[in-house]
Amino acid sequence: MSEVVVIGAGLGGLMAACELAGAGLPVRLISQGEGSLSLSNGTVDLLGYAPDLVWDPLSRINQIAPPHPYQVIGSDNVRRAVAALTSHLPDGYLVGQASQNQLVPTALGAWRPTALLPASLAPPQPKDQSRWLIVGFDRVKDFYPKLVAANLSRTKIPGGGRVTAIPVRIDLPDNPGLPGGDVSAMTVARAFDQPDFAAAVGRQLAQAAGQAEADAIGVPAVLGTAGHDAWRQVSQAAGRPVFEIGLVPPSPPGFRLNQLLLARARQLGVRLATGARVTGFQANQGRIVQLTTDAAGHGQTYEPTAVVYFPGGFESGAIAMDSTYNLAETLFDLPLAGLAPVSQLISPSYSPNQTIFQVGVQTDKAMRPLTDGGEPVYTNLYAGGGLLAGAIRWTEQSGEGIVLGSAMAAVRGLLDGIGQDLEPKLAAAHGRRTQLSSSHPGQTPNWTDGAP
Amino acid sequence: MDEVRRLSAEVVVIGGGSTGCGVARDAAMRGFSTILVERADLAQGTSGRFHGLLHSGARYAVSDPESATECCVENRILKRIQPDAIEPTGGWFVALEGDGPDYSDKFLRAMERNGLPHEEVRLALARRLEPRLTRRAVQVISVDDAAVDGWALALGTVRSALEYGARVLRYTEVKGIGLTGGRTSTVHCRDRRSGEDFVIEAGFIINAAGPWVGRVATLLGIEDVTVEPAQGIMVAVSQRLVSRVLNRLRYPGDGDIMVPAQTVSIIGTTDAPASDPDRLVMPRDKIQQMLDCGEALVPGFRQARGLHCWVGARPLIRDDSVKPAETRKMRRGMFIFDHASRDGVEGMLSVAGGKLTTYRLMAQEVVDQMCLKLGSPRRCRTASEPVPPPPTDHFVAGQVTKPGAGAEAPEIEQPDWPISPAGRQRPTGPRHITDRLAEAESTRADDQIICECELVSRRALVSALRRHPDDSLDDLRRRLRIGMGPCQGGFCAARSAGIACQEDAWSAGQAVAALRLFLRNRWIGQQPLVYGELLKQIALDNWMLYGTLGLEQLPASQEVVL
Amino acid sequence: MNLSPTLAGHALARASLDACVKCGICETRCPVMAATPLFPGPKFVGPQAERFRQGLSVDRSLDYCSGCGTCTLVCPQGVKIAELNAQARAVMKAHHMPLRDRLLGRTVLMGKVMSPVAPLANAVLRLGPVRALADSVVGVARQAPLPVASVQSLGRWLAQRGRSRANGTEVSGPDDQTGCEPDAVGRESGAAKRGQVVFFHGCAGAYFEVETSIKAIEVLEYLGFEVLVPAQGCCGLAQQSNGLFKAASKSVLKLSRALRSAGPDLTIVSASGSCTGMLKHEARQIMGVDDPELADVSYRVRDIMEFLAELDAQGELPHSFQPVDATVPYHAPCQLKGQAMGLPALEVLSLIPGLTVTESGQACCGMAGTYGLKKEKYAIAQKVGAPVFEVFRQAGASLGLCDTETCRWQLRQGTAMRIEHPVALVHQAYGLGTCLATD
Repeated sequence: MSEVVVIGAGLGGLMAACELAGAGLPVRLISQGEGSLSLSNGTVDLLGYAPDLVWDPLSRINQIAPPHPYQVIGSDNVRRAVAALTSHLPDGYLVGQASQNQLVPTALGAWRPTALLPASLAPPQPKDQSRWLIVGFDRVKDFYPKLVAANLSRTKIPGGGRVTAIPVRIDLPDNPGLPGGDVSAMTVARAFDQPDFAAAVGRQLAQAAGQAEADAIGVPAVLGTAGHDAWRQVSQAAGRPVFEIGLVPPSPPGFRLNQLLLARARQLGVRLATGARVTGFQANQGRIVQLTTDAAGHGQTYEPTAVVYFPGGFESGAIAMDSTYNLAETLFDLPLAGLAPVSQLISPSYSPNQTIFQVGVQTDKAMRPLTDGGEPVYTNLYAGGGLLAGAIRWTEQSGEGIVLGSAMAAVRGLLDGIGQDLEPKLAAAHGRRTQLSSSHPGQTPNWTDGAP
Repeated sequence: MDEVRRLSAEVVVIGGGSTGCGVARDAAMRGFSTILVERADLAQGTSGRFHGLLHSGARYAVSDPESATECCVENRILKRIQPDAIEPTGGWFVALEGDGPDYSDKFLRAMERNGLPHEEVRLALARRLEPRLTRRAVQVISVDDAAVDGWALALGTVRSALEYGARVLRYTEVKGIGLTGGRTSTVHCRDRRSGEDFVIEAGFIINAAGPWVGRVATLLGIEDVTVEPAQGIMVAVSQRLVSRVLNRLRYPGDGDIMVPAQTVSIIGTTDAPASDPDRLVMPRDKIQQMLDCGEALVPGFRQARGLHCWVGARPLIRDDSVKPAETRKMRRGMFIFDHASRDGVEGMLSVAGGKLTTYRLMAQEVVDQMCLKLGSPRRCRTASEPVPPPPTDHFVAGQVTKPGAGAEAPEIEQPDWPISPAGRQRPTGPRHITDRLAEAESTRADDQIICECELVSRRALVSALRRHPDDSLDDLRRRLRIGMGPCQGGFCAARSAGIACQEDAWSAGQAVAALRLFLRNRWIGQQPLVYGELLKQIALDNWMLYGTLGLEQLPASQEVVL
Repeated sequence: MNLSPTLAGHALARASLDACVKCGICETRCPVMAATPLFPGPKFVGPQAERFRQGLSVDRSLDYCSGCGTCTLVCPQGVKIAELNAQARAVMKAHHMPLRDRLLGRTVLMGKVMSPVAPLANAVLRLGPVRALADSVVGVARQAPLPVASVQSLGRWLAQRGRSRANGTEVSGPDDQTGCEPDAVGRESGAAKRGQVVFFHGCAGAYFEVETSIKAIEVLEYLGFEVLVPAQGCCGLAQQSNGLFKAASKSVLKLSRALRSAGPDLTIVSASGSCTGMLKHEARQIMGVDDPELADVSYRVRDIMEFLAELDAQGELPHSFQPVDATVPYHAPCQLKGQAMGLPALEVLSLIPGLTVTESGQACCGMAGTYGLKKEKYAIAQKVGAPVFEVFRQAGASLGLCDTETCRWQLRQGTAMRIEHPVALVHQAYGLGTCLATD
C-alpha cells in the first residue's frame, strides 16, 4: 500500500500521523521545520469564550453560532480526539476533561479557561482563602511576579472570590549551564533537568512559601525540558503544590509535549521528513497524485494515496496575503471563504479580532476542502487546523480543539475514503500503550505521570 | 481659591520638536533662563515623522539654491556637534532609464554653481556598492546626504539645553497667552498627565510649534499665520536594503528618497495638503504608491517585510505665489513672524517652515531677532559647541541611581541608547549601525536583552523608567527603540510592562493599560502594511498576547495612563 | 512568503531573515546552545544580529556556531538561519583566519600526504607529543578524533581491481581480510544491466573511509549498475565550513566538472553524506555559487541510501535480503538531515529482516564537519555529542551506524564502538560480505 502523506508537524499533523500509523497505514510526515507545538503551553483549549465564558466546552461546541469550524467537526470528533491524544501520552500527563473548563493563571496574571492541561500546569482549585506564592526567577525574561500577583489578586474569579497572590523573586542557584545575562526559558529549563538543581530550587520555594504562609506556589513554566520529573522534584522539595504558569514562546511545556508526540510518531513508524517544504503538486482526475518538496539538490517527489494537510493558518503563512492585498492558500490554492476587500478585513482600529483571521478553507464532514460549488476540491485531500474558516482562535481559546477535532475528522474521513474500517484498528492502536523506545535520553516520557 | 503654581523664565519656547529644542538650547546657551513646553513627547510630531534624511542640499540645488546652501552648511555643522544622532551614510542621486538627461544636466550645473560637493560614480562601481540597486540605473552622483535620528537629535539638543539650565516640560499644553499692555507676559499651561493648570511668567515667547504654529498664534487672536501643512507618508521595511541614501535624479516628486535609517529602510514620501495636522491619514492607495516607488529603486522592495508606516506634517508657510495644492513648490525656507511689526503684539516671535536639517540655523536666527528686540545682543555658539554625549553615569554597579531631583523639573532628557554600563566608553564618533550589536555583544553576559529586534537591554529600560516613571511605552520606544523592530512589540511590550511593574515604576493596572495603549498606537502604523510577513507576525503576536497571556481578560485599569 | 529572486539575488539567506517571527523554535533545538552558554543561539546571531551587521564583523560569539544547520531545519518559517551564520562567519574569518582552519580545509592534501604512509602517519598522529604540539601551535584539540588513514586508497583498490579484471581474476574489498566469503547469490559482477552511475567518493571516501566506498560500489554493481569513478578532487566543504569561500568555490566547481566528465545525465551516487550536502546545498545556498555545471551536478547527485530508497519506491530494489538479527543504533548526521529528504537509511534498513534500527533522535553528534576538532570547541563538541553517545551505548550493540565520515570518527571515539555507514549492512544483507556477525 502506498503511503499517506501528512503535511505539517504541529498538533494536528502529529495527531493525524500517529492515528493513521496506529491504524496500520504507512505514513510520511513532511514539515517545513518543526511544528508549532513548542509555541504553545501544551494546554488543550477547546472553547473558552463563545463569546461569554464557557464552562462546559464539549456541550457548547455543537451550539456555536455559524459559520464556525466546529459546525463541521462536531463535538464527537473533539471528544474522540482528546481521548486519542491522551492515549498517545503517558498516563496522567494531561489532567482535566473535555466536558469542563478550569481557570489557569497566565504570565500576565489573567485567568484563562482551558479544558485539559499538562499536570504540571494545573493549579489547585482557586478559592477565596487561597494564598498563592507567585515566584519569579531572576533569569526568566517573560515572567514578572509583581505584575502576575497583582493582577491575579485584583481579579474576581467567576463563581468564586479572589485569591491572595504574593509576589517574590528568587535568584536561581549558580549552575555552569546557566549563565547570567541573557538566557532563554529553555536554557533555564535545561538547568532544571538536573535533579540537584531542581531540588535546590524546591527548597528555596519551601522557605519563601513558609514565610509567606502560602498554600500553593506558582512559578514560570521552566521546570525541565522532558516530562514532569523536574516538576515533581521541585514540588517534593517545596512541600506544597507547585504549578507552572505558561510563558510566551518558546515554551518548555509545549516543547515537552512536542517531544512526546514526536517520539510516539517515531515509535509508530511514521517517516519524518523535517525541513522540507512542499512546493508543488500534481493532480489527476480530482486526486492529488504527486507532491514535490524543495529538498536540497533535486527536490523530492512523493506519490501519496491521500494527503492530510495541517499546515497552520495565518501564523505559519499557509494563508498569506501579498503586498497588493491578495489572499491565498499558498500550496494548493484552495478556495477561501470569507474573502472581502481588504478595508473590510483589516480595520483601522486595533483589535485582536480582525475579520481577516476568519478567512479560511471550508470542508465537508470528512475535512475535504470544498469548491465554491460545495464539491471536494480533491477527493483525497483532507485539511484542517488553522486553515479552517470562521474562528478567531486566540480570542475563543479554541485552538487545540479545532486542530484536534479536525485531525480526528480527517483521519476518520480518510479511512472511510479508502475503505478501511476505523474503529477496531484505532482501538487496537490506542490499546498499544507500549513504552517508547528508551533510545531517547532526555526525551523518555515517564509513563506513570501524575500529580505529586 | 487655590493659587495656581507660577513659574517664570526669560524665554518660554512653545513646541518640543527639533526647532523648539534648538531654540531652547540656543537661548539657554546665551544665558537666558528658558522653559520649553511641549504638549506631547519631544519630537513626537514632525521631527519624529520624517524619512530620517539629513539633507546635503542636493535635493534643493535646482529648485531652491538658498535652501540647498543652508542645508550643505548645516549638514556639516550637525555632523560635528551631534555625531551621536547621525550616521554619515553618504547619498546618491540616481537617474533611471527614461528619466531623461534634462534634470541631470540642470542638477550638475546647479551643484557646481552652488559649490555643493558631488561626484559621479561609475555604474559598475555603483552596482558593486549597492547590489540591490535597480539595473535600470543609468547615472549615479554621490552627495553628502546622511541618516539622522530625529529623536536622538532632539534629545541631544535638549540635553545641552538642560546643561545650560533650561527646563523642559513635556505633556504640557499651552491653553492661553496673557498680555500686559500689548506685550505678552504669561503662558497659561495645563499638565496633561496630572491635569494641573499653571502659569509661566514669560519675558519673551518663541512659538516653534511647527505645523501647529498658527494655532498657537490664534491664542493671541492672530488668525493669519497660515501654515499649509503638507502631509508626507513614509514606509519602513525591516532591514537595510541599501547602505546609503538613494534619491531619484529627477524633478522632486513622490517617493523619490530611500534612507537606510538605523536597522530599516524608509521610502518617502507623498506630498498632499492636509487641513489638520492632528488628523493625518494614510490611505492604502498612497501606501501602494510608496511601495511602487521603493520597487523602482530596489526591485523586490514589495517582498521585503513591511514594518511600519507613518505620516508627518511639514510646517510649510503659505506663499501666495503658488496654489495651495502645489505644496511641493512652496518654500522649504524658514519664516520668522515678528508679531510686533505685523500684529502689534510685543514679546513673541513665531518661527516655521524650514527643515530638520536646518533646525539649528532657524533657532539661531530667531534667537538673534529676539536678542535685538530685547536690546541684548549675545553671540550664538550652537554651531561650534558639540552637544554633550549621552551620559554614562546613570548606571553604577548594578544600581540604578535616582536622578538628582529638581522639584518641578525632574526631566533629565537623554536618549537611552547607546546603552552603556558604568565605566564602558561610549562611542563618541559618528554612529554606525554595527555599534549596537557590538554593544550587545559586550553586555550580553551580564544583562538581559528586552527588545530582541532592536537590542535594547534591561538596564537601559530600567534606567529610563527610573528617570521617567511617567513615560508611556511609546515614550520609551522613542528613547530606546523598544518595539520598533520586526516583531513590533509582540514580545517586548508585555516584557517591558512587566519590568515596569516589577521595578515599582508602574502599578499592575498602569502596566496593563500601558500595554493596551501601546498596541493600539502601534496598530495605526501597522495596519496598512499587514500583509506578508507582518500578517504572520500579527497572528503570532495575537496568539501570545491573547491566546497565551489572556490580555483581553485582564480587568480594566482604574488608573489613567496617557 | 516566497522570496523575491530579484531582492534575494546574491543574498537569498539575508532576504529570508524577514520571515523570522522570533518564535525561538531554533533555540529549543540548537545543540550548541544546549551545551554552552558561550553561544547566544541561532536566533540571536542569525536573523537578529544580521540586521545590524552591514557586511561587517563585530560579534565574535558567532564563532561558537558549529554550522550543523539544525536551526534552518527546524525553522517553521523558512529562515535560512545556518546559512546566514555561515556567511557572517566567513566575513569574520576574512579578518581573522587561524592557520588551523586553513589546514583543516585541505582535506585532499591531508589524505594524499597520509595515505601512502598510513601506518606511519596514523602512528604519528596518535603520539601524545605530536598531538600536544598540534594542540598548542595549530589549535587542533589534543584529544580530538582525527582520521585513521587507510592503507589502501580507493584509487589503488580501483586500479588493482581494474588490472585483475583485465587478467580475469577478481579482487574483493577489504572484506576478504575478515575472511568472509562474498555470497554468490545474485551476484552479477561486471554485468551492468541497468546502465551507468557515477560514484563520487569524497576525500574521506578516497583515503580514510575507503571500505565504505568499496561497499557502496559493490552494492551498486550487485544491483546491476556499471559504476564509473572519474578522477575527482575535493568538494571544498571543509573550506566552506571554515569560511574559506573563495577556495571552496574553486574546489566545488572543479569537482563539478570532474563528475560531469563521466557522462551527461548520469546519476551521481555518493556514500559521503556531507560532501553530497555540499553539492546539493551548501555551495549554492551558503556560498551563493551560481553556476550551471554545479546546478546540474547538484540536481543529479544522490546519497547512496537515498538512491536505494528511490529504487525501492519505484519497485526496483530487490528485497532479497538475508536476515541480520540485531538491534543497531543509528545517528542521522546533521549534514544529511539538512538535505531535507527525510531519513532514507531508516527506510532502506527497515527492509532487512531481523534488523531493528534505533534512531538517536538527536540533532548533531557535535563534530559538525571540523568543529569538534578545534581546541576551543572540543569540549563543547563532546558535550553536544554526549546524548548521541548515550543512545549508542545503551543500544547494547557492538556496531553503530552513521552516514558521514567525521561523525563516525566522533562516534567511534565517543562510544568505543565500531561505527559504519548504513550501506555496510545493506552490503551484508545482500550477501556481499559480513559487517556484523550475528548468531
